[in-house]
Amino acid sequence: MVLEQFFQPKSIAIIGASRNPNSAGQGVLKSLIKGGVFNSKTNRPFQGKIYPINPNADKILGIKCYKSVFEVKGKIELAVIVVPAKIVPYIMEECAKKKVKGVIIVSAGFSEIGEKGKELEEKVVNIAKKASIRIIGPNCLGLMRPKSSLNASFGPCMPKSGKVAFFSQSGALIDSVIDWSLESNYGFSAVVSIGNKADIGISELLLWALQDKETKAIAIYLEGLTDGRKFMKIAKQVAKKKPIVALKAGRSKTGMKAVSSHTGSLAGSYEIYKTAFNQSGVIVAENVDELFETADVLANLPPCKNNIAIITNGGGAGVLCADHCEELGINLAKLSKETVKKLDDSGKMHPAYSRRNPLDLVGDALHDRYNIAIDTLMKQKNIHGAIVIQTLQTMTQPMLDAQAVLKARKKYPKKPIITSYMGGKFTRKAVEFLESNHVPDFNVPYKAAKAMKALIKREDWLKNN
Amino acid sequence: MLINQKKAGELLRKYSIKTPKTIIFKETEFNKKIKYPVVLKVDSPKIIHKSDFGVIFLNLQNKEEVNRALKTQNTILKMNNITDYNFIVQEMVTGTELIMGMKRDETFGPVILLGIGGIFVEILKDTSMKIAPLKKKECYDMIEKLKAKKLLEGYRNTKKVNKDAIVDVLLKLSKLSIDQKHISEIDFNPVIVNEKKAIVVDARLIENGS
Repeated sequence: MVLEQFFQPKSIAIIGASRNPNSAGQGVLKSLIKGGVFNSKTNRPFQGKIYPINPNADKILGIKCYKSVFEVKGKIELAVIVVPAKIVPYIMEECAKKKVKGVIIVSAGFSEIGEKGKELEEKVVNIAKKASIRIIGPNCLGLMRPKSSLNASFGPCMPKSGKVAFFSQSGALIDSVIDWSLESNYGFSAVVSIGNKADIGISELLLWALQDKETKAIAIYLEGLTDGRKFMKIAKQVAKKKPIVALKAGRSKTGMKAVSSHTGSLAGSYEIYKTAFNQSGVIVAENVDELFETADVLANLPPCKNNIAIITNGGGAGVLCADHCEELGINLAKLSKETVKKLDDSGKMHPAYSRRNPLDLVGDALHDRYNIAIDTLMKQKNIHGAIVIQTLQTMTQPMLDAQAVLKARKKYPKKPIITSYMGGKFTRKAVEFLESNHVPDFNVPYKAAKAMKALIKREDWLKNN
Repeated sequence: MLINQKKAGELLRKYSIKTPKTIIFKETEFNKKIKYPVVLKVDSPKIIHKSDFGVIFLNLQNKEEVNRALKTQNTILKMNNITDYNFIVQEMVTGTELIMGMKRDETFGPVILLGIGGIFVEILKDTSMKIAPLKKKECYDMIEKLKAKKLLEGYRNTKKVNKDAIVDVLLKLSKLSIDQKHISEIDFNPVIVNEKKAIVVDARLIENGS
């Protein structure tokens, strides 16, 4: 397995483990020992060997401390370095001698601060290269791999295990995303803060994600790439197997270089990134919400051809959703005569049901009406997916409706269904049931349509590449 | 730095990019042979947007009209103290105006851009882009992505333009951009396309190191 020393290490040293509870050095150690600094039921203690390194302490957080890596008798596979930047070259020499395989450099004060830091970073990279040590960072938060009970970071706690790998150029964003993910029951196969990417960058992590069995979709937060063409080549290769979603910061025109042609002024840096993403099968997210929602949808549902159905128990909600679909370029399929006849003949439809797409089942629809409608529409050959909307009325049966959706998901595995249970308190249980069964749900039809658009975009790209 | 019109013309010929018949000269009297109507322009490194200067004369029907326009040109150039220039007389092509271009991006390399017409492209920003090298299919896709693509498909009394000809120029522009690494930016503005052909009427190529 590639990069195994980072994602499945058997032993970890924390170089710069600290007695100060407010330091990153203690944060990382605590994250390894307990699984996280903040209490969360998702925290899992690291199962391998943990070696705190600090020349001035005998014990930290109750475990034995070592003066240097040489005092450790066993092997050290991974080292997390949390010492001041200027002594990192010295530490790296020690790691080289100890035959450490991978290091995460949390310390800041490298290329991000200018020329001097850049020189220091190059020095560190050269020492590591000679010893075949791979580096994540410097200037990063660390990494998390819930499946390996590994939280080698100073993030708040370990996230839930899941299908989405998140690679981020911002460490602070990771902190907040993890806090949010616990509330939203969102899981990660891995979270990696890439920092200055002095050695391992996004492209290599994409290749790791490609072969990782846990990862079903990849979410990237990006500020800039060094080698855009290499990224495109690898992203294209990975996207054929696993969906990639990216959020790129820096959309505003400030800081744009002076240009002397029309083309130059029309082709802004963000537009070029978007072009490169589209060309290499990377789906562009416009904001943080969309980044994770889209990644979740792509991790759970198959791609979708551009012809779908909307099924609803609220006329207004159906029209709203149809509006969004049109704006996004999503085609709504025409219901065939056969489909309408089957619905008519079922005896379950309301006399005033819409008989066309969006299919309005009328407010008093119970789960059996949903059941027949979803099944009949999914059976129509040129309907490739559906958005099922539920508004909460006095007789509505959220849980039973959810089961109808699930039944269709199982019967038509190639036809994605996204739900929009519009509501909150009284639908929460059913929404949780849907999501735990891999049916993404969105509170508003706009988000459901946007998610469906991502599945359609993916189908389009796969067909053309 | 802007490459002068003569060198730019040579480069375009090397890639078989079609341009209208063009005569470049400095004299204030014009008496060469050309098919009318023609356009009269001035090429100078001092002038970026030709239309801002009022130095383009369109639809000149004969030699006399060209010479009359040349007099006005001379006055404008003197008023602006421009001495480094050439006159250009060019066969006039009619059709729909497109813009094509290239920008060599430091992260992704040459980016090819396509847009519909003249000053509108700058206001409506209706453009599509791809990173070179382009495949044929990608070129057609670039046309499809334009919001105003209907302008190219024939409307009211205009004829449907030759999309294959647009694709042909895009492919050549892509090839030129991949080969000629010293060129940092290109504007083909306008490229005039009609039901038969796509002609690059004005080309500005910018070299590295300004």
